[in-house]
Amino acid sequence: MKKMMVLIGNYGSGKSELALNFAFQAAERGERTELLDLDMVNTYFRLTERGKQVEMKEIRLVSPNFANSGIETLSLPAEVASAFAMDWDTVIFDVGGDAVGSTALGRYYQDFMQLEEGALQVLNVVNIRRPLAGSVERIIHLQEEMQIHSRLKITGMINNTNLAEVTTTQELHDGYEMIKEVSIKTGVPVLYTAGKKDLLEKFLAEEGHDPQYIGTPLPIDIYMRRDWNSWISSLPEKRPQQLQYL
Amino acid sequence: MALTLMKGSEAIAEAAIRAGARFFFGYPITPQTEIPEYMSERMPEVGGCFLQAESEVAAINMVYGAAGTGARVITSSSSPGVSLKQEGISYCAGAQLPCVILNVMRGGPGLGNIQASQGDYFQGVKGGGNGDYHLLTYAPSSVQEAIDIMMFAFDKAEKYRMPVLFLADGIIAQMMEPVEMPEMVDYKVDPEKKPWACTGWKPGDDPAKRGVINSIFIDTESLSEHNEVLQEQYRLAKANEQMWECYKTEDAEFIITAFGTVARIGKTVVDQMRAEGHKVGLFRPITVWPYPYDALKAACCAPQVKGILDVEVNEGQMLEDVKLAVEGQKPIEFFGHFGSQFPTTGEIRNKILEMKEAM
Repeated sequence: MKKMMVLIGNYGSGKSELALNFAFQAAERGERTELLDLDMVNTYFRLTERGKQVEMKEIRLVSPNFANSGIETLSLPAEVASAFAMDWDTVIFDVGGDAVGSTALGRYYQDFMQLEEGALQVLNVVNIRRPLAGSVERIIHLQEEMQIHSRLKITGMINNTNLAEVTTTQELHDGYEMIKEVSIKTGVPVLYTAGKKDLLEKFLAEEGHDPQYIGTPLPIDIYMRRDWNSWISSLPEKRPQQLQYL
Repeated sequence: MALTLMKGSEAIAEAAIRAGARFFFGYPITPQTEIPEYMSERMPEVGGCFLQAESEVAAINMVYGAAGTGARVITSSSSPGVSLKQEGISYCAGAQLPCVILNVMRGGPGLGNIQASQGDYFQGVKGGGNGDYHLLTYAPSSVQEAIDIMMFAFDKAEKYRMPVLFLADGIIAQMMEPVEMPEMVDYKVDPEKKPWACTGWKPGDDPAKRGVINSIFIDTESLSEHNEVLQEQYRLAKANEQMWECYKTEDAEFIITAFGTVARIGKTVVDQMRAEGHKVGLFRPITVWPYPYDALKAACCAPQVKGILDVEVNEGQMLEDVKLAVEGQKPIEFFGHFGSQFPTTGEIRNKILEMKEAM
C-alpha cells in the first residue's frame, strides 16, 4: 500500500529537515519515494535547496514553480498530481509553516479523500522552543487552525523540540512533557520523537517516560545546515569575547 | 534565561517591543515581511499600534509624527523600500527625531532581486537622503547580536537625537537561531527628559512651550547654527559609539574585513585556516557609522600583517572605508559577489591562499 506522509506545523519546527530524513530513510529501504516541496510561503531556506542531494538518492522531487529562482510568486506545479496518480511506496509532503502554509493542501482534498484507509498520515511537527508553539494552548490553537486550512485531520504529532546546534536532552524532555499534555487534551497521538542519534539515545535511556507519548524514535541527520554555522553567539559564554567598545 | 529558536525577523521585532517600541509603521517587502507580520500580532497585545501604511513614504512620515511625541517608534523595509524612505529619513535627521529604521538588504539596484545582499552600505553610511547628516548605523552578524543592539538602540537614538539604522542583510532576518530574549523594558515618555517632544499643549499654557518639530531653517544663520548642533552630536557619537570585533588578529598575517553575515562566514574561515596552520584573523565593524577607523588601522597595520582581504556581497563598498583606515600601508584585496550569492568558506579560503602564494 502506498504510504503518504504530510508534514505540517509551525514555522521553523523542522518540517523540511524531517521530510528529508523520512525520504532518505525510505529510499535506503529501497522504497520508491517521492518528495514534494509544497512550501508556498517561504523563499529562503527551503527543501528544494537540497534538490541535488535528494535526486542523487533516486528520490523524485517535486518543487513549486519558480522555487529557488528568486521569484516569490510561487505556484503549485501540475506534477503534484503524480503523488496520487503514480505508483509509489512512500510519498512525503513538506508543507509551508502555520495555517497559512497548510492552506496549499486544501487544493488536494479530493485526492487525499480517495486514498485507502490508513494510507495517509498527517503529522504535526512540534518544536516547543519556537515562541508561537511554546505552550499547550498555542500548540492546540495552531493545530486547529491548520486542520481548518488544510481540510485534513491531523493524525499524529512529532516531538521535534530542538535548539539547532545547542540542543540537549532537556529540549526533548520539555517537548515530551508539553506534547504529552496536548495529546491527552486533544486525543492526537504522539507518533515520533526526533533528534540526533546520540541525543535521542540519551533521552530514551532516561527513566520515567511513558513510551505512548514518545512514539517511534526517529534518529535524524542534519541536512539543512549552513556551512558557516560554527559560530553561534547566542550562548553567553560563546558571545564574542574580544568585543571592544571604544 | 531560557533559549528559544527564533527567526531573525521575529527576534528583531520582539526585541524592539521589549526595548519599548509601541509604534510600528511599515509596508511589506521581501525579505522582511515577517517583521510587519509579527508586529501586527504583537503590537495590539502590548497596547501598541501597528499600521500598514499605504507606502514606504507614508510609513516614514508616520515615524516622524510618532517620534515627535517622544514615543519609541520603528519602521522596517528592504532596499527598494528604504530608498523610498530616504526623504523622510533626512527629515527625521534634520528634525533630530530619535527612531529606529531597519533595512533588511536585498539585491539591487532598482528592484534587483529578493535574495540577501549588502548593497546598501553606501546608502546607509554615506548619505541616502539630502544634507549633512548621519545615522547611527549597526551591522549585526547574528540574530542574537541584532537583539542585543536593539535593546540599546532607542537609548542611543534618544541620547544623540538621531535616527538609528540597522543595516542587516536578508540572511539575518531569514535565518533561525537559538537566542536569549531580554526582559521587557518599562518605557514611558518622560516630558522632563524629552523637553522637545510634543506631549500636549492646551490654550492657556505657556506659548513658548508649544512644541514645534521642524527641519526648515529659512535664513542662512539659523540653518548654519542648526547644522552645528547636528555636527556636535555626530562628533560625540563618533567619540563614544564605535563598536567592532577583532577575532584572532593579534598574530594574524592575513586579516579578513567584513560586516554582517559575511563576517560570520569569514570567522569560520579563520578557524578552518588556523587549524591548517595559516595565521588568519578577522576584523568586523559592528557600527558602520561611526566607522571604527582607528581600531581597524591598529589591527590591520600591525607589523606582522602581510595582507588584507575585504569580503562583501556588493562590489566593494565598505572597501573604501577599509582603504581610508589602512592609508596605503598594507596591500588590500577584495572578494565579493553582487548577485546576492553569499561567498562560501571555500571561496574565501582560496582567495587568501592565492594572496599568500603571490607574495
